[in-house]
Amino acid sequence: MVPLYYYLIFSALLFSVGLAGALTRRNAILVLIGIELMLNAANLNFIAFWRYSPDPEALTGMMFVIFSIAVAAAEAAVGLALIIAIYRHYRTVDLTKVDSLKG
Amino acid sequence: MSGISYSEILKLVAPEMLVSLAALAVLAIDLLVMREAPQRYRFWTGAAFAGLGCGLAIAWLLAMNPPPHSMSAGLSLLQGTYADDVLVRLVKVALLVMTLFTLAISMESNFTDHIGEYLALILLATVGMMFLVSSENLLMVFISLELTSLSLYILTAFNKRNVESAEAALKYFLFGGMSAAFTLFGLSLVYGLAGSIQFSEIYSKLHAAKIDTLLLAAIVMTVIGFGFKIAAVPFHLWAPDAYQGAPTPSAAFIASGSKVASFFIFAKLMMQAFAGAEGNGAWRHFTPGWLPVVATVAACSMLLGNLAAIVQGNVKRLLAYSAIAHAGYALLGLLSNSQQGMSSLIYYIVTYGLTVLGAFGVVAIVEERTGDASISSFAGLGRRQPLLGLCMMVFMLSLAGIPPLAGFFGKFYLFTAAIGAGKDMGMLWLVIFAIAMSAVSLYYYLQVLKQIYVVPAVEDSRPIVVPVSSRIILSLLALVVVVLGCAPELLLGRLITAIKLASHQ
Repeated sequence: MVPLYYYLIFSALLFSVGLAGALTRRNAILVLIGIELMLNAANLNFIAFWRYSPDPEALTGMMFVIFSIAVAAAEAAVGLALIIAIYRHYRTVDLTKVDSLKG
Repeated sequence: MSGISYSEILKLVAPEMLVSLAALAVLAIDLLVMREAPQRYRFWTGAAFAGLGCGLAIAWLLAMNPPPHSMSAGLSLLQGTYADDVLVRLVKVALLVMTLFTLAISMESNFTDHIGEYLALILLATVGMMFLVSSENLLMVFISLELTSLSLYILTAFNKRNVESAEAALKYFLFGGMSAAFTLFGLSLVYGLAGSIQFSEIYSKLHAAKIDTLLLAAIVMTVIGFGFKIAAVPFHLWAPDAYQGAPTPSAAFIASGSKVASFFIFAKLMMQAFAGAEGNGAWRHFTPGWLPVVATVAACSMLLGNLAAIVQGNVKRLLAYSAIAHAGYALLGLLSNSQQGMSSLIYYIVTYGLTVLGAFGVVAIVEERTGDASISSFAGLGRRQPLLGLCMMVFMLSLAGIPPLAGFFGKFYLFTAAIGAGKDMGMLWLVIFAIAMSAVSLYYYLQVLKQIYVVPAVEDSRPIVVPVSSRIILSLLALVVVVLGCAPELLLGRLITAIKLASHQ
């Protein structure tokens, strides 16, 4: 069986990739994708911890993941709606051009 | 769960159900019946139904006997998914009152045609906050946090004609999404370390554990998530933009209700689940744990919030930076890590929420009449509309912490709790810093008052006409701020009893 920490390292990497994407991308949709990657990294953690926990019958981690996938979907829906709202005003989704609020 | 039937569960969650039903009813009535009616009339009907739902929920919370299973201690259902005790009920009542005031402030505004959706989202956000307050389970914390946040993102974007509103919402959303990911990752690590997602079990697993890197990472990531919700530095970047761009009633709601709920659950999580992993935040005696992390966040928030507020020219933006500073003060209550700290934290944040609701109410009216919320548009308000000027004076002085207003007593109690906590007054350095910073804050609050009372109105000095309903609401809020300042035991006495009862569990 693959040891637990392999999964943890992988999820930490996935989280970092997502974070890097979210911080460096200028396109709002790509930032959103980065955030989804970060959420999925956390989901992977839950599954791994659940699988290696002393009593996997409790299904705690599994349940958490199912809920968090649903939440992530809702979040993507709201996010895309907001991106469309931005596009209507600015005709672009480039975040560096969306800068009327400052101070 | 053994020994509890579905009807009893339904009875317990009745307040949340009432508010959700009110949300659906408001949506249905507005879309089915009121579509053709004039805007004002629609807003009044919708807000009346929404208010009715909140009112019934408050009545239920106050009238129903505390948890049936035992007289004093609380009740925790389904592995902490739904906890109920006197303290939780008190905080829920405070949340519902803030929702009522938010509804009242929105009634006169005309930034949207989608009134049903707007009111329904306010109510859904409230449901999220209520569940958040009564959760003792990481899953429930995450879901209700997201329910609240997602509703608030949409409320921020609700002024579709305004570019700033959309931009503010996108920034709020992107920061919020990122912090949600951090929270979830932190919670997953907590689950991995403790093997459970229930607060009490996490405590029993972790309180004896050595603080290693993984636990510290889990704590820091959880703090990041909540730090975002309460707008503490360095996770505050969304706040000024969101407050400025959002429609004023939405901003008021973000600043009041959502703050109260997030602070409460943040304190509960830290004090209950992570008790035993505190570390030490005393000056030059830092040991790893959550206390030094939160102490750093608090100090940064007070410093940056107060200094950045000085240079702001827009009152909504000024209130945002002052909110950051206030988050810093309120964290002192969490840092004292005691029952007294908890009661001072709740008292402070509830009175702050009411004050800031009133301030935003005044800003909403001025913004509507003069076109913007810049500090100069308040010039001569004291003569143009004396009542409004007086209310704003009460709110600003309370935020600055001038006796005999609620803000003063809140700060006083908070600082006392923080000084008394820990060995050898370890938090003294932070309290001294907080007092110094709150002296700084007086400058920018007085700047607003100077515009209102000293600077004459430039172009338009005619009196401002304010509807009777707004006058009543704002005077009521100002009155509450004064009364809670003069007689703090009205709220504080209840809080202390409730916390004592809750801790006997």
